Amino acid sequence: MAGGHGHGHGHGHDGHGAATPTPVLPSGAFLAPGNVELNWVEKMYLPEIVKGLGNTFSHLFKKTFTVDYDGTHREDPRKFHVPSEGYRGEHYLKKDEAGHVKCVACFMCAAACPAECIHIEAEAVPADWKDRERYPKRFEIDLLRCIYCGMCEEACPVDAIALSTTYNVVSETRESKVYARERLLQRGEELGISMSKHQYRPDGIPGHVPEQKQSH
Amino acid sequence: MAPYLWKLIPILLVFGGILAIVPLLVYLERKICALIQERMGPNRVGLFGPDSPLEVFGFKMGEKRVLGGLLQPLADAIKLIAKEDIIPPQVERYLYEFAPFFALLPPFLAFAVIPIGADLQVGDTAVPLVVADVGVGFLWVLAVASLSAYGVALGGWASNNKYALLGGIRATAQMISYEIGLGMALIAVAMQYQTVEPVSIVAQQVEGGFWHWGIFRQPLAFMLFLICAFAENNRLPFDLPECEAELIGGYHTEYSSMKFGMFFQGEYIAMLTMGGLLATFFLGGWHYPFYEAIREGAGPLIATLLSLVSFGVKTMAFVVFSMWVRWTLPRFRYDQLMRIGWKGIIPVALANIVLTALINIR
Repeated sequence: MAGGHGHGHGHGHDGHGAATPTPVLPSGAFLAPGNVELNWVEKMYLPEIVKGLGNTFSHLFKKTFTVDYDGTHREDPRKFHVPSEGYRGEHYLKKDEAGHVKCVACFMCAAACPAECIHIEAEAVPADWKDRERYPKRFEIDLLRCIYCGMCEEACPVDAIALSTTYNVVSETRESKVYARERLLQRGEELGISMSKHQYRPDGIPGHVPEQKQSH
Repeated sequence: MAPYLWKLIPILLVFGGILAIVPLLVYLERKICALIQERMGPNRVGLFGPDSPLEVFGFKMGEKRVLGGLLQPLADAIKLIAKEDIIPPQVERYLYEFAPFFALLPPFLAFAVIPIGADLQVGDTAVPLVVADVGVGFLWVLAVASLSAYGVALGGWASNNKYALLGGIRATAQMISYEIGLGMALIAVAMQYQTVEPVSIVAQQVEGGFWHWGIFRQPLAFMLFLICAFAENNRLPFDLPECEAELIGGYHTEYSSMKFGMFFQGEYIAMLTMGGLLATFFLGGWHYPFYEAIREGAGPLIATLLSLVSFGVKTMAFVVFSMWVRWTLPRFRYDQLMRIGWKGIIPVALANIVLTALINIR
Protein backbone atom coordinates (compact mmCIF):
# COMPACT_ATOMS: atom_id res chain seq x y z
CA MET A 1 0.00 0.00 0.00
CA ALA A 2 2.71 2.44 1.03
CA GLY A 3 4.70 1.40 -2.01
CA GLY A 4 1.76 2.25 -4.20
CA HIS A 5 1.64 5.83 -2.90
CA GLY A 6 5.35 6.19 -3.37
CA HIS A 7 4.98 5.21 -7.01
CA GLY A 8 2.23 7.73 -7.42
CA HIS A 9 4.57 10.60 -6.69
CA GLY A 10 7.59 9.03 -8.26
CA HIS A 11 6.06 8.74 -11.72
CA GLY A 12 4.94 12.32 -11.52
CA HIS A 13 1.51 12.65 -13.09
CA ASP A 14 1.90 16.40 -13.11
CA GLY A 15 -1.04 17.13 -15.36
CA HIS A 16 -3.53 16.63 -12.56
CA GLY A 17 -2.07 19.29 -10.25
CA ALA A 18 -1.76 19.23 -6.50
CA ALA A 19 -5.48 19.74 -5.78
CA THR A 20 -6.59 16.45 -7.36
CA PRO A 21 -3.94 13.81 -6.71
CA THR A 22 -3.97 10.80 -8.99
CA PRO A 23 -6.29 8.23 -7.38
CA VAL A 24 -4.35 5.12 -6.43
CA LEU A 25 -5.98 1.72 -6.16
CA PRO A 26 -4.93 -0.53 -3.28
CA SER A 27 -2.91 -2.65 -5.67
CA GLY A 28 -0.96 0.38 -6.81
CA ALA A 29 -2.57 0.53 -10.26
CA PHE A 30 -3.48 3.94 -11.60
CA LEU A 31 -6.93 4.92 -12.70
CA ALA A 32 -7.24 6.79 -15.95
CA PRO A 33 -8.24 10.44 -15.43
CA GLY A 34 -12.00 10.72 -15.14
CA ASN A 35 -12.46 7.13 -13.99
CA VAL A 36 -13.70 6.40 -10.51
CA GLU A 37 -12.94 3.54 -8.25
CA LEU A 38 -15.80 1.02 -8.07
CA ASN A 39 -17.57 0.55 -4.79
CA TRP A 40 -18.26 -2.93 -3.48
CA VAL A 41 -21.72 -3.16 -5.05
CA GLU A 42 -20.34 -2.30 -8.47
CA LYS A 43 -17.51 -4.75 -7.97
CA MET A 44 -20.08 -7.53 -7.69
CA TYR A 45 -21.00 -6.73 -11.32
CA LEU A 46 -24.52 -8.12 -11.01
CA PRO A 47 -26.48 -4.89 -10.29
CA GLU A 48 -24.59 -3.13 -13.06
CA ILE A 49 -25.27 -6.01 -15.43
CA VAL A 50 -28.99 -5.73 -14.67
CA LYS A 51 -28.79 -2.02 -15.42
CA GLY A 52 -27.09 -2.73 -18.72
CA LEU A 53 -29.66 -5.37 -19.63
CA GLY A 54 -32.39 -2.82 -18.99
CA ASN A 55 -30.66 -0.42 -21.33
CA THR A 56 -30.39 -2.89 -24.20
CA PHE A 57 -33.96 -4.06 -23.61
CA SER A 58 -35.23 -0.53 -24.16
CA HIS A 59 -33.43 -0.49 -27.51
CA LEU A 60 -35.31 -3.58 -28.69
CA PHE A 61 -38.44 -1.57 -29.41
CA LYS A 62 -36.92 1.61 -30.78
CA LYS A 63 -37.32 2.60 -34.40
CA THR A 64 -34.50 1.20 -36.46
CA PHE A 65 -31.82 3.60 -37.52
CA THR A 66 -31.24 1.92 -40.89
CA VAL A 67 -33.62 1.82 -43.87
CA ASP A 68 -34.98 -1.32 -45.51
CA TYR A 69 -33.16 -0.51 -48.73
CA ASP A 70 -34.01 -2.49 -51.81
CA GLY A 71 -33.50 0.22 -54.42
CA THR A 72 -36.99 0.03 -55.88
CA HIS A 73 -39.35 2.04 -53.69
CA ARG A 74 -38.11 5.50 -54.57
CA GLU A 75 -41.11 7.26 -53.08
CA ASP A 76 -40.97 5.50 -49.73
CA PRO A 77 -38.45 7.12 -47.36
CA ARG A 78 -38.31 3.92 -45.28
CA LYS A 79 -37.18 1.96 -48.34
CA PHE A 80 -35.00 4.43 -50.13
CA HIS A 81 -32.14 6.48 -48.87
CA VAL A 82 -32.41 10.13 -49.90
CA PRO A 83 -28.96 11.67 -49.70
CA SER A 84 -28.42 15.23 -48.59
CA GLU A 85 -28.20 17.80 -51.36
CA GLY A 86 -24.45 18.10 -51.02
CA TYR A 87 -23.94 14.41 -51.74
CA ARG A 88 -21.43 13.62 -54.47
CA GLY A 89 -22.65 10.80 -56.70
CA GLU A 90 -22.61 10.06 -60.41
CA HIS A 91 -21.48 12.85 -62.75
CA TYR A 92 -23.46 14.52 -65.51
CA LEU A 93 -22.83 17.14 -68.17
CA LYS A 94 -25.08 20.13 -68.78
CA LYS A 95 -26.32 21.77 -71.96
CA ASP A 96 -26.65 25.43 -72.71
CA GLU A 97 -29.76 27.22 -74.00
CA ALA A 98 -29.00 26.25 -77.59
CA GLY A 99 -28.94 22.59 -76.61
CA HIS A 100 -25.20 22.22 -77.11
CA VAL A 101 -22.91 20.72 -74.53
CA LYS A 102 -21.89 23.48 -72.16
CA CYS A 103 -18.30 22.28 -71.84
CA VAL A 104 -15.66 24.41 -73.55
CA ALA A 105 -12.95 21.73 -73.41
CA CYS A 106 -10.59 23.79 -71.27
CA PHE A 107 -9.19 20.65 -69.54
CA MET A 108 -9.49 22.28 -66.10
CA CYS A 109 -11.41 19.34 -64.69
CA ALA A 110 -8.99 16.80 -66.13
CA ALA A 111 -6.12 18.75 -64.60
CA ALA A 112 -7.83 19.02 -61.24
CA CYS A 113 -8.80 15.37 -61.09
CA PRO A 114 -6.61 13.57 -58.53
CA ALA A 115 -7.58 10.16 -59.88
CA GLU A 116 -6.96 11.14 -63.50
CA CYS A 117 -10.23 9.64 -64.58
CA ILE A 118 -11.39 12.35 -67.00
CA HIS A 119 -10.30 12.07 -70.63
CA ILE A 120 -11.14 14.88 -73.05
CA GLU A 121 -10.44 15.32 -76.73
CA ALA A 122 -11.09 18.88 -77.88
CA GLU A 123 -12.20 20.06 -81.31
CA ALA A 124 -12.86 23.44 -82.91
CA VAL A 125 -16.53 24.36 -82.76
CA PRO A 126 -18.74 24.37 -85.85
CA ALA A 127 -19.08 27.77 -87.51
CA ASP A 128 -22.52 28.55 -86.07
CA TRP A 129 -21.42 28.24 -82.41
CA LYS A 130 -20.55 31.84 -81.66
CA ASP A 131 -19.97 31.67 -77.88
CA ARG A 132 -16.66 29.75 -77.79
CA GLU A 133 -13.82 28.26 -79.72
CA ARG A 134 -13.67 24.62 -78.66
CA TYR A 135 -15.95 21.87 -77.55
CA PRO A 136 -15.21 18.29 -76.40
CA LYS A 137 -15.38 15.77 -79.22
CA ARG A 138 -14.78 13.05 -76.67
CA PHE A 139 -15.50 13.37 -72.97
CA GLU A 140 -15.10 10.26 -70.85
CA ILE A 141 -15.19 9.67 -67.12
CA ASP A 142 -13.90 6.38 -65.81
CA LEU A 143 -16.12 5.90 -62.79
CA LEU A 144 -14.06 2.95 -61.61
CA ARG A 145 -11.12 5.29 -61.09
CA CYS A 146 -13.18 8.22 -59.84
CA ILE A 147 -13.03 8.92 -56.12
CA TYR A 148 -16.06 11.26 -56.14
CA CYS A 149 -14.13 14.16 -54.66
CA GLY A 150 -16.03 16.76 -56.69
CA MET A 151 -12.93 18.68 -57.70
CA CYS A 152 -13.91 18.61 -61.39
CA GLU A 153 -17.08 20.42 -60.43
CA GLU A 154 -15.10 22.98 -58.44
CA ALA A 155 -12.62 23.51 -61.27
CA CYS A 156 -15.09 23.97 -64.12
CA PRO A 157 -15.22 27.65 -65.16
CA VAL A 158 -18.56 27.33 -66.99
CA ASP A 159 -20.33 24.89 -64.68
CA ALA A 160 -20.62 22.26 -67.37
CA ILE A 161 -19.91 19.25 -65.17
CA ALA A 162 -21.55 18.45 -61.88
CA LEU A 163 -22.06 15.57 -59.50
CA SER A 164 -25.61 14.36 -58.93
CA THR A 165 -26.98 12.67 -55.84
CA THR A 166 -27.28 9.34 -57.66
CA TYR A 167 -25.43 6.86 -55.47
CA ASN A 168 -26.63 3.58 -56.93
CA VAL A 169 -23.86 3.13 -59.47
CA VAL A 170 -23.81 -0.62 -59.90
CA SER A 171 -23.21 -2.28 -63.24
CA GLU A 172 -22.22 -5.68 -64.51
CA THR A 173 -19.25 -4.88 -66.71
CA ARG A 174 -16.20 -2.69 -66.35
CA GLU A 175 -16.72 -1.19 -69.80
CA SER A 176 -20.12 0.18 -68.91
CA LYS A 177 -18.61 2.17 -66.06
CA VAL A 178 -16.71 4.40 -68.49
CA TYR A 179 -19.23 7.11 -69.21
CA ALA A 180 -18.97 8.79 -72.61
CA ARG A 181 -20.14 12.33 -73.45
CA GLU A 182 -23.59 11.25 -74.66
CA ARG A 183 -24.19 9.17 -71.57
CA LEU A 184 -23.23 12.05 -69.29
CA LEU A 185 -25.48 14.49 -71.18
CA GLN A 186 -28.29 11.98 -71.07
CA ARG A 187 -27.90 11.58 -67.31
CA GLY A 188 -28.32 15.32 -66.94
CA GLU A 189 -31.48 15.24 -69.01
CA GLU A 190 -32.84 12.30 -67.09
CA LEU A 191 -32.33 14.18 -63.86
CA GLY A 192 -34.17 17.17 -65.38
CA ILE A 193 -31.44 19.56 -64.39
CA SER A 194 -29.46 19.70 -67.59
CA MET A 195 -30.65 23.08 -68.83
CA SER A 196 -30.32 24.98 -65.60
CA LYS A 197 -28.22 28.09 -66.03
CA HIS A 198 -25.01 28.99 -64.27
CA GLN A 199 -25.50 27.54 -60.87
CA TYR A 200 -23.00 25.98 -58.57
CA ARG A 201 -25.18 23.00 -57.66
CA PRO A 202 -28.32 23.22 -59.81
CA ASP A 203 -29.72 20.04 -58.33
CA GLY A 204 -29.86 21.79 -54.98
CA ILE A 205 -32.65 23.88 -53.57
CA PRO A 206 -32.79 27.57 -54.64
CA GLY A 207 -31.07 29.69 -52.09
CA HIS A 208 -28.28 27.23 -51.62
CA VAL A 209 -26.38 28.70 -54.55
CA PRO A 210 -23.23 30.44 -53.35
CA GLU A 211 -22.92 34.11 -54.30
CA GLN A 212 -19.43 34.03 -55.78
CA LYS A 213 -20.12 31.33 -58.29
CA GLN A 214 -23.13 33.10 -59.75
CA SER A 215 -21.10 36.05 -60.89
CA HIS A 216 -19.30 34.46 -63.84
CA MET B 1 -44.54 -53.45 -30.23
CA ALA B 2 -41.25 -54.19 -28.56
CA PRO B 3 -40.57 -51.81 -25.67
CA TYR B 4 -37.22 -50.64 -27.03
CA LEU B 5 -38.97 -49.31 -30.13
CA TRP B 6 -40.83 -46.85 -27.91
CA LYS B 7 -37.42 -45.49 -27.04
CA LEU B 8 -37.27 -44.11 -30.57
CA ILE B 9 -39.87 -41.48 -29.65
CA PRO B 10 -37.73 -39.54 -27.14
CA ILE B 11 -34.62 -40.07 -29.26
CA LEU B 12 -36.27 -38.58 -32.34
CA LEU B 13 -37.86 -35.81 -30.32
CA VAL B 14 -34.61 -34.78 -28.65
CA PHE B 15 -32.15 -35.04 -31.51
CA GLY B 16 -34.54 -34.09 -34.29
CA GLY B 17 -35.80 -31.21 -32.20
CA ILE B 18 -32.32 -29.90 -31.48
CA LEU B 19 -31.21 -30.08 -35.10
CA ALA B 20 -34.40 -28.37 -36.23
CA ILE B 21 -34.14 -25.56 -33.70
CA VAL B 22 -30.47 -24.66 -34.23
CA PRO B 23 -31.04 -22.75 -37.53
CA LEU B 24 -33.87 -20.90 -35.84
CA LEU B 25 -31.47 -19.87 -33.08
CA VAL B 26 -29.05 -18.44 -35.62
CA TYR B 27 -31.86 -16.33 -37.05
CA LEU B 28 -32.98 -15.32 -33.57
CA GLU B 29 -29.48 -14.33 -32.53
CA ARG B 30 -28.98 -12.14 -35.58
CA LYS B 31 -32.41 -10.57 -35.22
CA ILE B 32 -31.99 -9.82 -31.50
CA CYS B 33 -28.53 -8.40 -32.15
CA ALA B 34 -29.94 -6.17 -34.89
CA LEU B 35 -32.86 -4.94 -32.82
CA ILE B 36 -30.65 -4.09 -29.86
CA GLN B 37 -28.37 -2.15 -32.20
CA GLU B 38 -31.40 -0.54 -33.91
CA ARG B 39 -30.76 -2.25 -37.21
CA MET B 40 -33.05 -4.34 -39.41
CA GLY B 41 -31.28 -7.69 -39.25
CA PRO B 42 -31.82 -10.40 -41.85
CA ASN B 43 -35.03 -9.48 -43.68
CA ARG B 44 -34.79 -10.82 -47.22
CA VAL B 45 -34.83 -14.58 -47.65
CA GLY B 46 -38.27 -15.58 -46.44
CA LEU B 47 -40.99 -18.02 -47.38
CA PHE B 48 -43.02 -15.36 -49.16
CA GLY B 49 -42.06 -12.34 -51.15
CA PRO B 50 -39.73 -11.56 -54.02
CA ASP B 51 -36.64 -13.13 -52.40
CA SER B 52 -38.24 -16.44 -51.58
CA PRO B 53 -36.07 -19.43 -52.46
CA LEU B 54 -39.21 -21.12 -53.79
CA GLU B 55 -39.10 -18.71 -56.72
CA VAL B 56 -36.15 -20.76 -57.95
CA PHE B 57 -38.57 -23.62 -58.48
CA GLY B 58 -40.99 -21.46 -60.41
CA PHE B 59 -43.49 -20.67 -57.65
CA LYS B 60 -44.70 -17.09 -57.58
CA MET B 61 -44.60 -16.09 -53.91
CA GLY B 62 -46.09 -12.64 -54.15
CA GLU B 63 -44.65 -9.17 -53.83
CA LYS B 64 -44.88 -8.69 -50.08
CA ARG B 65 -42.22 -10.03 -47.71
CA VAL B 66 -43.60 -11.90 -44.73
CA LEU B 67 -41.19 -12.93 -41.99
CA GLY B 68 -38.32 -12.11 -44.30
CA GLY B 69 -34.98 -13.50 -43.17
CA LEU B 70 -36.47 -16.59 -41.57
CA LEU B 71 -34.83 -18.78 -44.22
CA GLN B 72 -31.53 -16.93 -44.03
CA PRO B 73 -29.97 -19.76 -41.95
CA LEU B 74 -30.94 -22.16 -44.76
CA ALA B 75 -29.10 -19.98 -47.23
CA ASP B 76 -26.15 -19.80 -44.84
CA ALA B 77 -26.11 -23.57 -44.45
CA ILE B 78 -26.12 -24.08 -48.23
CA LYS B 79 -23.32 -21.57 -48.50
CA LEU B 80 -21.26 -23.32 -45.79
CA ILE B 81 -21.71 -26.74 -47.36
CA ALA B 82 -20.98 -25.53 -50.88
CA LYS B 83 -17.88 -23.56 -49.94
CA GLU B 84 -14.38 -24.81 -50.58
CA ASP B 85 -13.08 -26.74 -47.58
CA ILE B 86 -9.57 -25.38 -47.20
CA ILE B 87 -7.19 -27.57 -45.21
CA PRO B 88 -4.02 -25.58 -44.57
CA PRO B 89 -0.82 -27.54 -45.25
CA GLN B 90 0.64 -27.09 -41.77
CA VAL B 91 -2.19 -28.75 -39.83
CA GLU B 92 -2.09 -32.05 -37.96
CA ARG B 93 -4.46 -33.71 -40.37
CA TYR B 94 -6.29 -36.32 -38.31
CA LEU B 95 -6.88 -34.23 -35.21
CA TYR B 96 -7.83 -31.28 -37.41
CA GLU B 97 -10.55 -33.33 -39.09
CA PHE B 98 -11.61 -34.86 -35.79
CA ALA B 99 -11.98 -31.73 -33.66
CA PRO B 100 -15.27 -30.39 -35.13
CA PHE B 101 -16.98 -33.68 -34.33
CA PHE B 102 -15.73 -33.44 -30.78
CA ALA B 103 -17.21 -29.96 -30.54
CA LEU B 104 -20.56 -31.15 -31.87
CA LEU B 105 -21.01 -34.43 -30.02
CA PRO B 106 -20.82 -33.67 -26.25
CA PRO B 107 -23.79 -31.28 -26.07
CA PHE B 108 -25.92 -33.92 -27.80
CA LEU B 109 -24.76 -36.59 -25.36
CA ALA B 110 -25.42 -34.35 -22.36
CA PHE B 111 -28.98 -33.83 -23.52
CA ALA B 112 -29.60 -37.57 -23.28
CA VAL B 113 -30.31 -37.57 -19.55
CA ILE B 114 -32.67 -34.58 -19.57
CA PRO B 115 -36.37 -35.44 -19.34
CA ILE B 116 -38.12 -33.30 -21.93
CA GLY B 117 -41.74 -34.02 -21.03
CA ALA B 118 -44.23 -35.93 -18.92
CA ASP B 119 -44.60 -39.66 -19.58
CA LEU B 120 -46.34 -40.43 -22.85
CA GLN B 121 -49.28 -42.79 -22.31
CA VAL B 122 -49.64 -45.30 -25.14
CA GLY B 123 -52.31 -47.79 -24.21
CA ASP B 124 -51.21 -49.00 -20.80
CA THR B 125 -47.49 -48.41 -21.28
CA ALA B 126 -45.96 -45.17 -20.07
CA VAL B 127 -43.10 -44.03 -22.31
CA PRO B 128 -40.75 -41.76 -20.37
CA LEU B 129 -39.67 -38.89 -22.58
CA VAL B 130 -35.99 -39.13 -21.71
CA VAL B 131 -33.38 -40.75 -23.91
CA ALA B 132 -31.38 -42.38 -21.12
CA ASP B 133 -32.49 -42.43 -17.50
CA VAL B 134 -29.09 -43.38 -16.12
CA GLY B 135 -28.33 -43.87 -12.43
CA VAL B 136 -25.34 -41.53 -12.39
CA GLY B 137 -27.64 -38.65 -13.32
CA PHE B 138 -26.03 -35.30 -13.80
CA LEU B 139 -22.56 -36.74 -13.23
CA TRP B 140 -22.98 -37.94 -16.81
CA VAL B 141 -23.69 -34.35 -17.85
CA LEU B 142 -20.58 -33.06 -16.11
CA ALA B 143 -18.42 -35.86 -17.51
CA VAL B 144 -19.62 -35.30 -21.05
CA ALA B 145 -19.50 -31.53 -20.83
CA SER B 146 -15.80 -31.83 -19.95
CA LEU B 147 -15.27 -33.55 -23.28
CA SER B 148 -16.31 -30.45 -25.20
CA ALA B 149 -13.09 -28.80 -24.01
CA TYR B 150 -11.31 -31.41 -26.14
CA GLY B 151 -13.00 -30.25 -29.31
CA VAL B 152 -11.80 -26.72 -28.73
CA ALA B 153 -8.34 -27.68 -27.48
CA LEU B 154 -7.72 -30.18 -30.28
CA GLY B 155 -9.01 -27.76 -32.89
CA GLY B 156 -6.70 -25.08 -31.58
CA TRP B 157 -3.66 -27.32 -31.36
CA ALA B 158 -4.12 -29.20 -34.61
CA SER B 159 -4.47 -25.96 -36.58
CA ASN B 160 -0.78 -25.27 -35.91
CA ASN B 161 -1.53 -21.56 -35.71
CA LYS B 162 -0.57 -19.39 -32.76
CA TYR B 163 -3.92 -17.63 -32.56
CA ALA B 164 -5.83 -20.87 -32.69
CA LEU B 165 -3.52 -22.38 -30.09
CA LEU B 166 -3.98 -19.42 -27.75
CA GLY B 167 -7.73 -19.70 -28.18
CA GLY B 168 -7.59 -23.41 -27.46
CA ILE B 169 -5.48 -22.92 -24.32
CA ARG B 170 -7.77 -20.19 -23.04
CA ALA B 171 -10.83 -22.31 -23.71
CA THR B 172 -9.38 -25.29 -21.88
CA ALA B 173 -8.39 -23.23 -18.82
CA GLN B 174 -11.73 -21.43 -18.78
CA MET B 175 -13.87 -24.52 -19.18
CA ILE B 176 -11.99 -26.46 -16.51
CA SER B 177 -12.20 -23.52 -14.08
CA TYR B 178 -15.89 -22.99 -14.52
CA GLU B 179 -16.75 -26.68 -14.50
CA ILE B 180 -15.81 -26.69 -10.84
CA GLY B 181 -18.30 -23.94 -10.12
CA LEU B 182 -20.91 -25.67 -12.25
CA GLY B 183 -20.42 -28.98 -10.46
CA MET B 184 -20.51 -27.37 -7.02
CA ALA B 185 -23.72 -25.54 -7.81
CA LEU B 186 -25.22 -28.87 -8.83
CA ILE B 187 -23.94 -30.56 -5.65
CA ALA B 188 -26.12 -28.18 -3.65
CA VAL B 189 -29.06 -29.10 -5.87
CA ALA B 190 -28.35 -32.79 -5.34
CA MET B 191 -28.25 -32.23 -1.57
CA GLN B 192 -31.54 -30.37 -1.73
CA TYR B 193 -33.36 -33.12 -3.63
CA GLN B 194 -31.35 -36.03 -2.17
CA THR B 195 -30.67 -37.47 -5.63
CA VAL B 196 -28.49 -36.96 -8.69
CA GLU B 197 -31.00 -38.24 -11.24
CA PRO B 198 -32.59 -35.49 -13.34
CA VAL B 199 -35.78 -37.52 -13.76
CA SER B 200 -36.17 -37.80 -10.01
CA ILE B 201 -35.31 -34.13 -9.44
CA VAL B 202 -37.98 -33.09 -11.94
CA ALA B 203 -40.49 -35.51 -10.36
CA GLN B 204 -39.93 -33.89 -6.96
CA GLN B 205 -40.41 -30.42 -8.43
CA VAL B 206 -43.62 -31.56 -10.12
CA GLU B 207 -44.98 -33.13 -6.94
CA GLY B 208 -44.11 -30.16 -4.78
CA GLY B 209 -45.61 -27.65 -7.19
CA PHE B 210 -44.43 -24.21 -8.22
CA TRP B 211 -42.70 -23.23 -4.98
CA HIS B 212 -40.58 -26.38 -5.00
CA TRP B 213 -38.81 -25.37 -8.21
CA GLY B 214 -35.06 -25.25 -7.84
CA ILE B 215 -34.92 -21.52 -8.43
CA PHE B 216 -36.82 -20.95 -5.17
CA ARG B 217 -35.15 -23.77 -3.25
CA GLN B 218 -31.61 -22.97 -4.40
CA PRO B 219 -31.52 -19.36 -5.66
CA LEU B 220 -27.79 -19.03 -5.07
CA ALA B 221 -27.06 -22.25 -6.94
CA PHE B 222 -29.26 -20.95 -9.76
CA MET B 223 -27.20 -17.77 -10.09
CA LEU B 224 -23.92 -19.70 -9.97
CA PHE B 225 -25.16 -22.20 -12.52
CA LEU B 226 -26.32 -19.40 -14.81
CA ILE B 227 -22.94 -17.67 -14.73
CA CYS B 228 -21.00 -20.90 -15.19
CA ALA B 229 -23.31 -21.88 -18.04
CA PHE B 230 -22.25 -18.76 -19.94
CA ALA B 231 -18.61 -19.58 -19.33
CA GLU B 232 -19.04 -23.24 -20.31
CA ASN B 233 -20.67 -22.23 -23.58
CA ASN B 234 -17.91 -19.72 -24.33
CA ARG B 235 -20.54 -17.02 -24.69
CA LEU B 236 -20.07 -13.38 -23.90
CA PRO B 237 -19.06 -12.03 -21.43
CA PHE B 238 -16.80 -15.10 -21.27
CA ASP B 239 -16.04 -15.62 -24.96
CA LEU B 240 -12.29 -15.30 -24.60
CA PRO B 241 -11.56 -18.44 -26.64
CA GLU B 242 -13.00 -16.73 -29.74
CA CYS B 243 -12.17 -13.13 -29.08
CA GLU B 244 -12.26 -11.70 -32.61
CA ALA B 245 -10.26 -8.64 -31.71
CA GLU B 246 -7.14 -10.40 -30.42
CA LEU B 247 -7.35 -13.95 -31.71
CA ILE B 248 -9.14 -13.50 -35.06
CA GLY B 249 -11.50 -16.37 -34.35
CA GLY B 250 -9.61 -18.34 -31.73
CA TYR B 251 -9.68 -22.09 -32.15
CA HIS B 252 -11.68 -22.06 -35.39
CA THR B 253 -9.47 -19.56 -37.20
CA GLU B 254 -8.15 -22.18 -39.61
CA TYR B 255 -11.46 -23.91 -40.19
CA SER B 256 -13.59 -23.21 -43.22
CA SER B 257 -16.70 -24.52 -44.89
CA MET B 258 -18.84 -26.97 -42.94
CA LYS B 259 -16.06 -27.74 -40.43
CA PHE B 260 -16.45 -24.19 -39.21
CA GLY B 261 -20.18 -24.75 -39.49
CA MET B 262 -19.92 -27.66 -37.09
CA PHE B 263 -18.12 -25.58 -34.46
CA PHE B 264 -20.79 -22.96 -34.96
CA GLN B 265 -23.58 -25.50 -34.65
CA GLY B 266 -21.93 -27.05 -31.60
CA GLU B 267 -22.01 -23.69 -29.85
CA TYR B 268 -25.74 -23.34 -30.36
CA ILE B 269 -26.47 -26.93 -29.38
CA ALA B 270 -24.43 -26.37 -26.22
CA MET B 271 -26.63 -23.36 -25.49
CA LEU B 272 -29.75 -25.50 -25.88
CA THR B 273 -28.26 -28.18 -23.64
CA MET B 274 -27.39 -25.67 -20.93
CA GLY B 275 -30.91 -24.25 -21.23
CA GLY B 276 -32.32 -27.75 -20.85
CA LEU B 277 -30.20 -28.41 -17.77
CA LEU B 278 -31.17 -25.07 -16.26
CA ALA B 279 -34.84 -25.83 -16.85
CA THR B 280 -34.45 -29.31 -15.39
CA PHE B 281 -32.65 -28.36 -12.20
CA PHE B 282 -34.09 -24.94 -11.44
CA LEU B 283 -37.23 -24.24 -13.44
CA GLY B 284 -39.21 -27.39 -12.72
CA GLY B 285 -38.29 -29.27 -15.89
CA TRP B 286 -41.33 -29.81 -18.04
CA HIS B 287 -43.68 -28.84 -15.20
CA TYR B 288 -46.19 -26.08 -15.74
CA PRO B 289 -48.95 -24.56 -13.58
CA PHE B 290 -52.24 -26.48 -13.42
CA TYR B 291 -50.56 -29.61 -14.79
CA GLU B 292 -52.62 -31.91 -12.56
CA ALA B 293 -55.89 -30.20 -13.45
CA ILE B 294 -55.19 -30.37 -17.19
CA ARG B 295 -54.19 -34.02 -16.90
CA GLU B 296 -57.48 -34.78 -15.17
CA GLY B 297 -59.58 -32.65 -17.47
CA ALA B 298 -58.13 -32.88 -20.97
CA GLY B 299 -56.40 -36.23 -20.76
CA PRO B 300 -52.78 -37.33 -20.50
CA LEU B 301 -51.92 -36.77 -24.17
CA ILE B 302 -52.77 -33.06 -24.09
CA ALA B 303 -50.94 -32.73 -20.76
CA THR B 304 -47.84 -34.39 -22.23
CA LEU B 305 -47.86 -32.21 -25.34
CA LEU B 306 -48.18 -29.11 -23.17
CA SER B 307 -45.30 -30.34 -21.04
CA LEU B 308 -43.12 -30.52 -24.16
CA VAL B 309 -44.09 -26.95 -24.97
CA SER B 310 -43.38 -25.88 -21.41
CA PHE B 311 -39.92 -27.44 -21.48
CA GLY B 312 -39.22 -25.82 -24.83
CA VAL B 313 -40.27 -22.40 -23.57
CA LYS B 314 -38.02 -22.67 -20.51
CA THR B 315 -35.06 -23.82 -22.59
CA MET B 316 -35.59 -21.04 -25.10
CA ALA B 317 -35.90 -18.53 -22.29
CA PHE B 318 -32.31 -19.28 -21.28
CA VAL B 319 -31.12 -19.17 -24.89
CA VAL B 320 -32.78 -15.82 -25.56
CA PHE B 321 -31.45 -14.48 -22.28
CA SER B 322 -27.91 -15.49 -23.20
CA MET B 323 -28.31 -13.72 -26.56
CA TRP B 324 -29.57 -10.65 -24.77
CA VAL B 325 -26.58 -10.76 -22.43
CA ARG B 326 -24.23 -11.25 -25.35
CA TRP B 327 -25.28 -7.98 -26.98
CA THR B 328 -25.20 -6.11 -23.68
CA LEU B 329 -21.93 -6.91 -21.97
CA PRO B 330 -18.35 -6.42 -23.09
CA ARG B 331 -15.83 -9.23 -22.75
CA PHE B 332 -13.99 -9.81 -19.49
CA ARG B 333 -10.24 -9.63 -19.38
CA TYR B 334 -8.50 -12.95 -18.86
CA ASP B 335 -7.37 -12.18 -15.32
CA GLN B 336 -10.85 -10.95 -14.45
CA LEU B 337 -12.28 -14.19 -15.82
CA MET B 338 -9.98 -16.29 -13.67
CA ARG B 339 -10.55 -14.11 -10.61
CA ILE B 340 -14.32 -14.38 -10.94
CA GLY B 341 -14.07 -18.13 -11.38
CA TRP B 342 -11.67 -19.03 -8.60
CA LYS B 343 -12.12 -16.22 -6.08
CA GLY B 344 -15.78 -15.46 -6.67
CA ILE B 345 -17.82 -18.39 -7.82
CA ILE B 346 -16.04 -21.31 -6.16
CA PRO B 347 -16.04 -19.84 -2.59
CA VAL B 348 -19.69 -18.83 -2.94
CA ALA B 349 -20.54 -22.29 -4.25
CA LEU B 350 -18.74 -23.88 -1.29
CA ALA B 351 -20.60 -21.60 1.12
CA ASN B 352 -23.84 -22.55 -0.61
CA ILE B 353 -23.08 -26.24 -0.08
CA VAL B 354 -22.47 -25.69 3.64
CA LEU B 355 -25.61 -23.56 3.89
CA THR B 356 -27.68 -26.22 2.14
CA ALA B 357 -26.29 -28.87 4.47
CA LEU B 358 -27.18 -26.79 7.55
CA ILE B 359 -30.71 -26.07 6.34
CA ASN B 360 -31.41 -29.71 5.48
CA ILE B 361 -30.28 -31.17 8.85
CA ARG B 362 -32.99 -33.50 10.00
